[in-house]
Amino acid sequence: MKRIALSLFTIGALFTSCSSDDDNETTTPQVEAPATFQFQRNGMTTVSYSGQTTRIEMGDEFVSALLDNTKTEVELDGMFTNTGDYFSTTDLNSSTKNIRSKTAASSDYFSSNTTVANQIKADFDGWIANQVNDVFPNWANTATPGNAGQLQESGGSIRYVNGKGLEYNQAVNKGLIGALMVDQMLNNYLSPSVLDAGSNRVDNDAETLAEGKNYTNMEHKWDEAFGYLYGTDDALAPQLNVDSFLNKYLQRVENDDDFAGIAEDIYNAFKLGRAAIVAKNYSVRDEQAVIIREKVSEIIGIRAVYYLQAGKLTLGTDNATAFHDLSEGFGFIYSLQFTRQPGTNAPYFSKSEVDAFIAQLTTGNGFWDMTSTMLDNMSGDIAARFNFTVEQAAPNN
Amino acid sequence: MLKRIVYLFCLVCVIVACSSSDDSSDDNTDNFDRTALLTNYADNIILPALENFQSKVSALDVARGNFINAINQTNLDLLSDAWLEAYSAWQYVGIYNIGLAETLTGNENGFRAYFNVYPVSTALIESAAETNASYNLNADAYFAAQGFPALDFLIHGITDSDITPLDKFTSNSKSNGYVNYMTDVQSQINSRTTAIVNDWQNTFRDEFVANTSSSATGSINKIVNDYINYYERALRANKIGTPAGNFSAGQTFPDKVEAFYKNNVSKELALLSLDAVQQFFNGEAFGNTANSGASLASYLDALDHTELKNDINAQFEVARQQIQSLNSSFSQQVINDNTKMTQAYDALQGAVVLLKVDMASVLDIQIDFVDNDGD
Repeated sequence: MKRIALSLFTIGALFTSCSSDDDNETTTPQVEAPATFQFQRNGMTTVSYSGQTTRIEMGDEFVSALLDNTKTEVELDGMFTNTGDYFSTTDLNSSTKNIRSKTAASSDYFSSNTTVANQIKADFDGWIANQVNDVFPNWANTATPGNAGQLQESGGSIRYVNGKGLEYNQAVNKGLIGALMVDQMLNNYLSPSVLDAGSNRVDNDAETLAEGKNYTNMEHKWDEAFGYLYGTDDALAPQLNVDSFLNKYLQRVENDDDFAGIAEDIYNAFKLGRAAIVAKNYSVRDEQAVIIREKVSEIIGIRAVYYLQAGKLTLGTDNATAFHDLSEGFGFIYSLQFTRQPGTNAPYFSKSEVDAFIAQLTTGNGFWDMTSTMLDNMSGDIAARFNFTVEQAAPNN
Repeated sequence: MLKRIVYLFCLVCVIVACSSSDDSSDDNTDNFDRTALLTNYADNIILPALENFQSKVSALDVARGNFINAINQTNLDLLSDAWLEAYSAWQYVGIYNIGLAETLTGNENGFRAYFNVYPVSTALIESAAETNASYNLNADAYFAAQGFPALDFLIHGITDSDITPLDKFTSNSKSNGYVNYMTDVQSQINSRTTAIVNDWQNTFRDEFVANTSSSATGSINKIVNDYINYYERALRANKIGTPAGNFSAGQTFPDKVEAFYKNNVSKELALLSLDAVQQFFNGEAFGNTANSGASLASYLDALDHTELKNDINAQFEVARQQIQSLNSSFSQQVINDNTKMTQAYDALQGAVVLLKVDMASVLDIQIDFVDNDGD
């Protein structure tokens, strides 16, 4: 407070007393955008996000395993929590990281909201349990309204659904994009509550490095946000579509002409924000966080609408295909509660609004009872709160 | 670098062009009377709480002596009463990890390590009482085998070989060992308490009040850090969050509540702790809350942050109501309906943000500890 007062006072003095000086604009140093997300100190990289890479790799194996009907609930829970050595590599099994503990676990949304966080974790636990106890036993049966089983798409792919037509593996996979990647990125690591936690700002100003590391804590927090999108990608030249989570769906949105450029916008904001931390320019840093919050939230909103609209195309004629789309849509809708409206401490859709959408999708026999009008209404409600239209988000055909 | 040059330039402008201004660059320029605040804290809150605690500890020691002189259930019950009285008084002093108290251990719980580490290690106690192996209550490992939690087990717990709590002092073949261990635990409580109270009475009170610096080593910075640390760790985490599974991926621990062996007083103790926290914030005198003086609350008022002060008090109220709605035994609450425990945790956590981020920023206090939530 006093610092602000003093700064304002000195700046004021600059303007009133020294107005002949035309250097007024440069009270905060300009930040030059680097070409890539490469940052070094003393010739060594300062970028580290191995924990995020690990969790993405765990997530990829975990969601694949949800479609292996020989797995037990213990094994799948073990992959969710990284207990019991159920991953394919020693690296993952011996890691101290796990997915579940970072599910619905951001500082901004859940540190004072652990009761809700527990409910969300329990949703995932329940989807896993139901996949094993409800869907696996009916693996070879044909699904009917109210009965779990399989459905074959006209293209040949077989989908395994519950009695409401929902693929639990999709609920988990797309739900994790919100509850893990988006929540950790937007509501934890890009938040001043984390970036500036403790003495982070003082340390970053003084370039005091984290113990035994080549980075400041603040640099590292920013990199951890970066890692949830690019953790298995090439940080210097992202290829996209290299995981089953946010990275994949950024590519999907980028490939829609209506949204082309979003991938570059996000990457540019990440590297400029990181450069701003190096330059100790926290206003530029926070401006980039705003851009990332908006664009990454849009990925969720766009894909939610996309899949509702895609489901509409084959609903009633090829239910396997339609239910697959709606299952993905279900997961993206679930993820809406983890988005972040820039300039607020709130998601684009609150948990209770998301719960209402989920109730619409799952009431009665769920997808079996769905109508085009219901899907259009939901699509419209979602798009209306974002900066895109249903038509822009819908599949091009 | 450029930024520094620009700032330097600004500063020169101020000095050259605005030297008539009497706003100095000393950063301790708010007009709040820090001496009044520290005096109120020392004389009306901290010292009276410590002296009250000391008298309850003395009474506890007397009850222990009576019990050992005539080991029977009646005297054990009286000892239990005295234990609860002292444990209740402790809730008002756990905050003050400052002065001599601060230097007693390097433990992250500060001097609380000598009084209230739980869950208690019954294995350490049983081993100490039943074998001739030596033990050292000043060693880090024994923090979990002394203080009120150790007495809780000795007074209310049952060893593997016994049927009732009293048995360990009567029919147990190592009953002498249990009597001796209880005596040692009590001696440790007595000596630590006396040393801390004497330090405050003889020297530290004046040092504390005189140190009005706004730096990290000034009394206000230190006591606010102790206060928030206590609130976050001793109250929010230890009393509620840990048993509720907030730090263990949802796995709950009914046996990690405060006073587990007595079991039906964990709510009572938590509410006293919250009272102590809120009375400190508002500068209310110990034992006479109608009488209040300069405090963090009035400091916020003085800096035009009455709204924040009100938010903090309102959040304390929300937390109090949540805790009041719990079972008198948190063990039972965790087993029966843990959601209410996590709701109480959430309500407590709501004030952590207000205290640790908002208030610390307004008062320009650097927080000297961080959550260990690394990745």
